[in-house]
Amino acid sequence: MRQFEYEAKALFRKEGIPTPQGFVISCAEEVFSIPAKTFPKTLKTQVLSGGRGKAGGIQFANDQEDAYQKAQDIFKLPIKGELPTKILVEPKVTIKKELYVSILIDRAYRGPILMGSAEGGVEIEESGSIEIVPVPGARYSSFHARELGAKMGLQGKELIKFAGLVDKLWTVWTKNDCDLAEINPLIIDGDDNFIALDGKVTINEDAVGRQPQFAGQLAAHLSDLGEREFKGKMCGLNIVELEGNIGILCNGAGLTMATMDLVLHKGGKPSNFLDVGGGANKDHVKRALDLVSSSSDVKVLLVNILGGITACDEVAAALAYYKEIRPEAKMVVRLVGNNEAKAKEIMDKAGIPMTNILETAVEEAVSLAK
Amino acid sequence: MSVLINKDTKVIVQGITGGMGSTHARLMREYGTNIVAGVTPGKGGQDFDGIPVYDSVYEACAKHEVNCSVIFVPPYFALDAALEAINAGIPLISVITEGLPPQDAVKLHAAADAKGTLVNGPNCPGIITPGECLIGIHPGSIYKPGRVGLISRSGTLTYEIGLGLKQADIGISTALGIGGDPIIGIDQIKSLELLEADSDTDSIILVGEIGGTAEEEAAEYIKTNVKKPVIGYIAGVTAPPGKRMGHAGAIISGNKGTAQSKREAFEAAGVKVADTPYQIIDLVKDQMAVKA
Repeated sequence: MRQFEYEAKALFRKEGIPTPQGFVISCAEEVFSIPAKTFPKTLKTQVLSGGRGKAGGIQFANDQEDAYQKAQDIFKLPIKGELPTKILVEPKVTIKKELYVSILIDRAYRGPILMGSAEGGVEIEESGSIEIVPVPGARYSSFHARELGAKMGLQGKELIKFAGLVDKLWTVWTKNDCDLAEINPLIIDGDDNFIALDGKVTINEDAVGRQPQFAGQLAAHLSDLGEREFKGKMCGLNIVELEGNIGILCNGAGLTMATMDLVLHKGGKPSNFLDVGGGANKDHVKRALDLVSSSSDVKVLLVNILGGITACDEVAAALAYYKEIRPEAKMVVRLVGNNEAKAKEIMDKAGIPMTNILETAVEEAVSLAK
Repeated sequence: MSVLINKDTKVIVQGITGGMGSTHARLMREYGTNIVAGVTPGKGGQDFDGIPVYDSVYEACAKHEVNCSVIFVPPYFALDAALEAINAGIPLISVITEGLPPQDAVKLHAAADAKGTLVNGPNCPGIITPGECLIGIHPGSIYKPGRVGLISRSGTLTYEIGLGLKQADIGISTALGIGGDPIIGIDQIKSLELLEADSDTDSIILVGEIGGTAEEEAAEYIKTNVKKPVIGYIAGVTAPPGKRMGHAGAIISGNKGTAQSKREAFEAAGVKVADTPYQIIDLVKDQMAVKA
């Protein structure tokens, strides 16, 4: 669950990481509540998608009137299809140095790593100047931060201040179960203070449930998703949007991907990835059918269930119900495994053809979709 | 002989009184797995279908000979359960639990590595040596005993392949569901090492998927260390970048972890790569014909 910049900065401040003194506004008129003598200001659109600066989502305003005009524009400007509901208004700062620092789990190191660069900014991934210090077993100590700072070329007081800041960022990362805690740029201002000028924090999806401070916030943090993906997240269904016309409903992530690949292999195009998971019951499958078919692009539904924990008759019952309410829907069904015979009875009664061979099912779905 | 588990494996089930634990403890026992005890803190002294339940792993190990633990504990309690098993000195643990927070996974694997404990998973279907022992949630009837080793990051896709093999009258020595998370214990390389050394395995099927670089590393390992024929398959050709495809580990980051890159790595290592799951069966048949 990606946090908006203003939320990331609030998490930073809670642990003592300095950020600019910002105002979060929800409508352009709110700029008049910001003291006039504190201008000029920077207006930053609050969206989850990247690339907002290039798209015009960050503007400078000399006074309240200027800010009012620009805020109106920003509220109307979608970034990769995502409209902001908030703008962060911050004072301009003097920048002596721009750095980059982040904490994330790296698969290759099998644990967290600290990443840093003496050249912060938007093009950091391409700059090639990133230093890495692994933290094996997540047993962090300040020396990891000093090691990173030294690699980045920091010395003396700057090195010590930097390490103190990374200590705090580590607390942000662990305490909130983050996937990522990043400050970019981390600036050193005219008075030699370290300030987080921009922040990116992502809370791990699997860990959100044990972080009560984020309870009930999921819906507000999915503004970068399409309609089916958003609805899926809301009802606990794992769907990924694609551009084809064959709706896919399977169980198990690997089998779902293999089924999609097989559709492509046979000359068709999958409309989505949807894994109903293990042990899905009738209602769960009904929701999944609704979700997949909610896109007008879907011409055929391809259902592939290999019943291990999942009972095929539960799936069949959901399909029979769906056939009743949507008799015109084209469905190709492959059911095999746990309670297959019972499922066959239900399917025969409902008049839905079913096969237990995957290749046959995929070929039929592809031909029906043409 | 098979690898990791066989008829002499003595298993405890952590979380035996929970929904998933109880269902699968029964299924494992039906299959023939020797379950010597169950552990659920607070339920010590109970009896689960004739299996004694203890409050702690330590107690179970004091009263029974144990060499494997299967963990069916909810995600936020799984780290604690696994640390308990590692601490008790059990050499092999299988963490079936899906949704373990990554920061917990890091601590789990660090503790296991320090103690030399083998960890299967997390987020995996477990391991099966057909006809001898099942740990985890594989549907046992899908496999027949035989001489093909199977390694896979996915559950149902493993069953699909096991079923196809059975229909072609081909059996499995051991099937290892290694798990769909970004950080796992017994990985592709370790599984290859075990199956290569196993005198009851003639050939190996390696089923990978998008995300990470495990397949690329496995391919490098195969080049110099595996003499047995390896048949590969990669799921996720159609997966878009930046999206988690179900498994926490199945995500293409930037241009890293694509199906194309994995397939090329396999081919460069002499692995025969199937385009579809059922083509795997044909390649195994070809391989057996060559041998005969």
